[in-house]
Amino acid sequence: MPPPAYFLSGHAINPPVLKSRPAHHWDDYMYQRYHVETSPALEIAPFPNRTRVKVKKHGLATHLLKELIRYRGNREVALSRPCVYGVFSGPVGGFAPRNYCCVGCLRCTIEYPEMVQVYPEPEHRLLGDSYFTPEQVDTICYEARTGRIPVKGAGYRGPFGGEGWDGMWTDMSEIVRPTRDGIHGREFISTAVDIGQKPPFLSFNEQGAATGESARTFSIPIPVLFDVPPASVVSRKFLQIVAAAAQVAETFAVLPLGALNRFALQGRQIIPLVSREDADALTELRFTPLMIELDGWNEALFREIRRRFAESTICLRHDLGSSKELLKHYHSGIRVFHLVANYHGLGPDGRFVLDLIREAHGAFVEAGRRDEVTLLGSGGIIAAEHVPKAIICGLDAIALDTPLLAALQARFLGECLDRQGSRFRLPRRLTVNWGVQRVENLLASWRDQLLEVLGAAGLRDVRRFRGEIGRAMFQKDLEREAFSGIEGYGQ
Amino acid sequence: MDNRSRTAEQLVIEKHTERLRRGFHLWPGLKQGRPPALGDYRWTADLILSTWLQAETGMPPTNGLEHRVGNSGGGFDRLDFKFFPQDRWLPDTVTIDLSIPLNRRPYDRRIEIPVPFYGAGMSFGSISEPVMRARAQAAQVWKTFTCTGEGGYPESLLAYKDHVITQIATGMFGVREETIQYAPIVEFKYAQGAKPGLGGHLLGDKVTATVATMRESLPWVSLFSPFPFHSVYSVEDHKKHVDWVKTINPEALVSVKVSTPTDIDMVAVGSYYDGAHIVHIDGSYGGTGAAPEIAKKTIAMPIEFALPKVHRCLLQEGIRGEVVLMASGGIRTADDIAKAIALGADGAVLGTTELVALGCTRCGNCERGRGCPFGLCTTDPELSQLVETDWAAERLGKLYQSFQLQLSDILRRLGLSSIRDLVGRTDLLLYRSQEETR
Repeated sequence: MPPPAYFLSGHAINPPVLKSRPAHHWDDYMYQRYHVETSPALEIAPFPNRTRVKVKKHGLATHLLKELIRYRGNREVALSRPCVYGVFSGPVGGFAPRNYCCVGCLRCTIEYPEMVQVYPEPEHRLLGDSYFTPEQVDTICYEARTGRIPVKGAGYRGPFGGEGWDGMWTDMSEIVRPTRDGIHGREFISTAVDIGQKPPFLSFNEQGAATGESARTFSIPIPVLFDVPPASVVSRKFLQIVAAAAQVAETFAVLPLGALNRFALQGRQIIPLVSREDADALTELRFTPLMIELDGWNEALFREIRRRFAESTICLRHDLGSSKELLKHYHSGIRVFHLVANYHGLGPDGRFVLDLIREAHGAFVEAGRRDEVTLLGSGGIIAAEHVPKAIICGLDAIALDTPLLAALQARFLGECLDRQGSRFRLPRRLTVNWGVQRVENLLASWRDQLLEVLGAAGLRDVRRFRGEIGRAMFQKDLEREAFSGIEGYGQ
Repeated sequence: MDNRSRTAEQLVIEKHTERLRRGFHLWPGLKQGRPPALGDYRWTADLILSTWLQAETGMPPTNGLEHRVGNSGGGFDRLDFKFFPQDRWLPDTVTIDLSIPLNRRPYDRRIEIPVPFYGAGMSFGSISEPVMRARAQAAQVWKTFTCTGEGGYPESLLAYKDHVITQIATGMFGVREETIQYAPIVEFKYAQGAKPGLGGHLLGDKVTATVATMRESLPWVSLFSPFPFHSVYSVEDHKKHVDWVKTINPEALVSVKVSTPTDIDMVAVGSYYDGAHIVHIDGSYGGTGAAPEIAKKTIAMPIEFALPKVHRCLLQEGIRGEVVLMASGGIRTADDIAKAIALGADGAVLGTTELVALGCTRCGNCERGRGCPFGLCTTDPELSQLVETDWAAERLGKLYQSFQLQLSDILRRLGLSSIRDLVGRTDLLLYRSQEETR
């Protein structure tokens, strides 16, 4: 089957297929559940396995001879292998173990301690960086490859808790809420969120007609957008992937204005990122975006954009950190904020994104303005579990950054901290179709995992999760409650 | 029987069974060092190897293997005991009582177990029948209990029925009047720590003809245990469940297994008032045959935090003396059992620990393809034969023996003669700094 046209259109991204149906198609009147289509997308660049199997060849040859004698030449028994996953099932068996089949069960080394050893693969340890750990890269690749939720047997293997996201748990409900059947398909759980501005209240005239400011929002069916890519990977192909993936998933991608113009990309799913330096390039923009992102506050630019693109929502990209400034920008007319930490989740003052989001959300709550604004967030959100946690802390939606790169098998070249200085290497064989599918798979997997968390908490709308700190548990609080009074605690 | 009179399949199984047992014996001896890829933060290589050793010898290791704590950096791994100086230890002549009652209400059947632990629910389908039988056999020898899990009650367990808890979970698989009538204790599983609020999923590959018959379903079709009980949407509905069980088996004690939400204290209180004899709290770091990784790590709190919360709440409500509080979900060692009790539990429920004693390496492939390559969590007819019931029962018994020794030793050093005196004694615990635990 040829790939859909929008993958190949190159410059212009066509509207979604559904909307190109003839008017009054019966499907248009049917309720449609949001669904991201998944399809296996295998790795296109070598991806190291977690483990490496080493066999002492001389020992193996001797052992096989002994076994043949012991079992009187019965090859089926003598050559039966200690692996049920096929590591020793190649043409020469254990003489050339197939590492890629190894799942780390260790049965071979348990059975033959003197002959077989299974080691953690050193290449695997080089994936990611100090924040984006090899295990997290592994998980993202699994999600991007399969579109599935990572499921494993046995219990949790990681550290007990920790700083940042690791020190936070979400709530569940035992029996009392009737909404949790949603994850098994009987009841719908909505992951849609609204972006834009809402008036604090509605006003009506004597005739009962609404007057004054009305809500200007648009909805996305999943609380995930794509953030602007780091400079080292910006290319036509990469931007096409991100833009097409955003279109298919019915979400949005923030892309740099200069690159949009350079590669002649357009489409309603694109949010141009405009900075003071490339303000002149606004004239070359070939479409009217639904939203435009301002790269840092600049009043003149803000007014210029508002004048020229009166229909577009303006979003302010702002460092996570100063709540006072956010409120100041609110009073200047900003209603959508894209709050950004660095790729390791740290704000300019070194605090972690979790605390910074809570602070920003809290500032708007305290000012009585939270429902009027939309808070988007990026930086340090690199696993499916971080999405519900970030929303509980106060975001409406997140914008993905480094996970997109990991899904596309980009290698992290050293520590990757920020958009300007980080270096990534994309696979040479990268294609638009493959890239889009990987991103779609990742989104499908993350959405399903969000549903699991919402289902467990007994909620049927992700919007209900926003700022619901009461449905989260923090290690510091729990530890204080449980261990206060135990000698040594708190010292 | 010599090699010629056996089929090739039998010989293959014998060969690998022999090699595996040899490996379980050799590795803890550390002659080859530690397997480089074995272990994780919670179950370190040392904990796994020391559990194998205890299952073989019935004694805690003396060769330097760390058998008390893991490397998770929190919870049980940061806690220690404030032992008395040696001159205040109880002498060996004092008998240490490790028994706990499983009914603390003034009415209904009295059941006491001589050790403060019993086996967790692991269903037929998620584990093999020989493993189920072995657990029941060990429970019988040690006069404690094991639990069916949700997958039905294999006939081979009938011989041990006085030591088998029947579990009723949301899928009601294999739940029949007889299986409730067999049971001295019936356990309602509302949630499981590893997948709280999510229900269960037995993948089609594991639903063999035998499993399907037991669960009254179709072979090779995945089975869902939905969440929650569709007949229970309030604590009053739960009372209806208890009444239903008591009508079928008036003698049975009732256990309620729940996970650890923020309001776990209120859940425990509600369970008590609805007639539960045992409130079984399953922390979020517990085991499972298959669960989304996000659920294991992210949803609900670890058992170490839930226990003090529940214990104190029950005390404040004035009902602690009538509830048996059992803890599970990440309890790996004898030390963990004692710490859980000091945090407020009466006893512990062991699941993964038992599987590790039988050779589990915690590889997490229970749900993949044919299931566990060690023959534990599998229904594959060939792989299941790698575990022989008597061998496994003996190993479990030895592990219990080692735990019994260690628990007695802990109590002796704390100057306590009964495990019941340790309940809620957080004053006997120490919180170690990160540096001290490294």
